[in-house]
Amino acid sequence: MRTLVWVLAAAFLALITILLSQKGALDPLRNVALTVVSPLERGVRNVAEPVADALDRIAERQDLEEENRQLRRQIEELRSQIADLSEQQALSEGLQELLEVQEGRPDDQFLVARVIAKDPSNLKERIAIDRGSDDGVAEGMVVMSAANSLVGVVSSALNDFAWVTLITDPNSSVNAMVMESRTQGVVSGTLHNGLRMELLPQDTEVEPGSTVATSGLGGNFPDALLIGEVVSVQGSPQDIFQKAEVQPAADLARLENVLVLISFQPARLDHTP
Amino acid sequence: MRYLFLGPLAMTVVLFQVAAAPYFPLMGATANPLLALLMCWAMVRGPREAMILIPLTAVFKDLITNDPVGVSVLAMLPIVPLAAVRERHPTQSEFVPTVAVVAVASLCYHLVYMVVLTSLGEDVPWLQSPVEVLLPAALLDAVLTPLFYLPLLLVTTVTESRARLRVTG
Repeated sequence: MRTLVWVLAAAFLALITILLSQKGALDPLRNVALTVVSPLERGVRNVAEPVADALDRIAERQDLEEENRQLRRQIEELRSQIADLSEQQALSEGLQELLEVQEGRPDDQFLVARVIAKDPSNLKERIAIDRGSDDGVAEGMVVMSAANSLVGVVSSALNDFAWVTLITDPNSSVNAMVMESRTQGVVSGTLHNGLRMELLPQDTEVEPGSTVATSGLGGNFPDALLIGEVVSVQGSPQDIFQKAEVQPAADLARLENVLVLISFQPARLDHTP
Repeated sequence: MRYLFLGPLAMTVVLFQVAAAPYFPLMGATANPLLALLMCWAMVRGPREAMILIPLTAVFKDLITNDPVGVSVLAMLPIVPLAAVRERHPTQSEFVPTVAVVAVASLCYHLVYMVVLTSLGEDVPWLQSPVEVLLPAALLDAVLTPLFYLPLLLVTTVTESRARLRVTG
């Protein structure tokens, strides 16, 4: 009987706090908690990361030699491709956007933020950064990696911290384009650092290795922001659309610093009529 | 008095779960050491102490993660009835049932968590989750059981025998 009363009372209080939390009433408390805990979290992360890397290296050692051989072959191929691209650059306007993605975005203004935590749940792909609304970070702002590829979107901004929903989160979807074929689709997150590009018309050719970038449609993301590379394409001739597995360009599992794009106003932040 | 010592230990486990556990995934799933600890706690020391520790640690976890505050309390509620059922059906072997109950608690945790997220309007991959989340997480949490069960059993046995000596002496 006592157990039942406790369960019911705890469930009732939990539901109330969930509602308060959804209204943002507990954000100041979250901010204080993160302020106190983030140095400790950083310390634990600094210990855990090298240990995890070492374990990964041990586990992957057998694959390293083969991967090394493949990478050498790829370097040769890429060098040859770079030479081709240099020649075509002057002629092909279509490739200009792709090159711009790789050359960075000199006109944009960024705020550098440090990753202080990752969401530990198995159902979400989110990170916390040490910049918040006091620094000008707002919900909906675009977050990029140090190498200028898309990382995610600010999903909640506290005073001194913000949570970023990664592009691999199941709730994330980005209007995207395969740069080589100009095919448009939507890139959504799957579980465990995966990306899937959907709504690709059946009559367009999408090859593994193609570059995927934001299309800019909808105004929530700037255009030509690198997302990743097509790994495989699925779909039978009967399907209306093809799907493609996309490998994110940024190493989302090992992010240390990110850039919040503050010069770009996403459509969801623009409340002007 | 015991909460002064054991409470911070539980908070440390929360910190480890948030800061370090995501770096050690197994089959893509992240472990939930807090759940394993609290389930072992309820099994070894009885559900009464867990009734205090569950809200404290779960709210602390939610405050430092992106979860709505309270969702972990809801998701960890099944620990108490599971431990209570176990108390009513004691068997000779304690460890194996604890491992099994941790796995069941892990399944319950994720199911409740997914229901809450869905009701809050978040996209939850229900079809993928049995293979990619529920089973690997339950397995991983069950594997963590000895890490918490054995030290808790040792501490409990020592403190209880000291208390008994004090009474008889």
